Amino acid sequence: MGKTILIAEQSEIIRKGLIKVINSFDMFDNVSELACNANIEASVIKLEPDILVINPLMIGTSLKGWLKEQINGRMKVAAIVYTLFDDEIKEVFDEIIQINDTRLRIKTKLTSLINSKDESKKPAPDDTLSSREKDVVRLLAKGLSNKEISEQLYISPHTVITHRKNITRKLNIKSVAGLIVYAIINEIVLVDDLHNQ
Amino acid sequence: MAELIINGQMKLSNIIDKDKRALVLFPRFGIDLGIGDKTVAGLCMQKDIDLQFFLLMVNTFLNPDYFPDKQLKSVDADMLIGYLVESHNFYLEERIPYLQSLIEKFKKSVDHPATAQLEKFFDQYIVEVKDHLAYEDETAFPYMAMISAYKKRSDVPAGQIDYSVGVFEERHDNIQEKLSDLKNLLVKYFPPVNDRYIRIRLLNELIDFEEDLINHARIEDKVLIPVVKQLEQQVKSG
Repeated sequence: MGKTILIAEQSEIIRKGLIKVINSFDMFDNVSELACNANIEASVIKLEPDILVINPLMIGTSLKGWLKEQINGRMKVAAIVYTLFDDEIKEVFDEIIQINDTRLRIKTKLTSLINSKDESKKPAPDDTLSSREKDVVRLLAKGLSNKEISEQLYISPHTVITHRKNITRKLNIKSVAGLIVYAIINEIVLVDDLHNQ
Repeated sequence: MAELIINGQMKLSNIIDKDKRALVLFPRFGIDLGIGDKTVAGLCMQKDIDLQFFLLMVNTFLNPDYFPDKQLKSVDADMLIGYLVESHNFYLEERIPYLQSLIEKFKKSVDHPATAQLEKFFDQYIVEVKDHLAYEDETAFPYMAMISAYKKRSDVPAGQIDYSVGVFEERHDNIQEKLSDLKNLLVKYFPPVNDRYIRIRLLNELIDFEEDLINHARIEDKVLIPVVKQLEQQVKSG
């Protein structure tokens, strides 16, 4: 069955660029675009896209309520992000596409959105890390000790240990060196940010 | 899988048919393949290998639940150490260089920032394995051989001994854990690579090496440590 994606983004450069990248994946039969937020609701009703990619800056207060209703619906919503946002934004969207994501990364994100569409009612699979656990992995990869991590995240050392246990259980990776490789693969940390011992 | 207990009347070739993991054991006893239809007992006689010891090693290696309680008393520590040293040589001269060559090929087939880290991870791991093996070869085994010589021929050890098998037991850490991490990364998390077969070859070898190390550690924990403890007690009680 043909898939549809709708891109809502004001910047023509970004919008056209993203469309070009998405077209090269051959994943969607219909790649539509919107340059302003006036027609978003109507376009979604008309197109029934599988994925909506939207710049969070385009979401005003009225759209916010509407967007919340879309969560857990049949359409997946991804944010296209190139400015700094509060971490809370991650809770609102099914996926975040960063401006500096590689082609492969964008493809992986869109593929997992398409694949998760049919199982959106199921709880999150057990092996995905929470954003807090990702924070811990990121700091571990940078070479911080449990104590330093607890100070940086304002949590108790005991909580850091609990997070580490859960991370090991979820990923089945026990060593810090192994977690570093995992963190790079999943872009939790960039190679340049690694603490070079 | 039904456990296969090897006995002296079995043909060696049948053992390999039933459990290919036995293949790595033969070089450790100086056995070259091209064995025809020889039985275990026949070949051991020809090669001057202690049959009971051979069976004990093969069965402990192949069966996680095989516990050689009754035979422990009769195990010769020197034979055991000889076998373990041969296993170490096999890791150092065969398994590790081969794994390194596969990692090298894997690295070349992938253009991903995580590959460099994967290689670094593996290199660090190899250093740890080599340290672990060197400690056993240079500290633990010589001590054990000395105790054994004292027991057999009353060779009085030169100088003060401040070592015991208890120290070995305590620091006998697990060296296959990181291998399991590496395996999980390749199975579950590493993105698709250009040459999918190199990943499969690499995984096959990692899984074999991991299993070999687990079996090897079991022989050290279940056979070597009790045997040397027994020797220590006999030496102490005169």
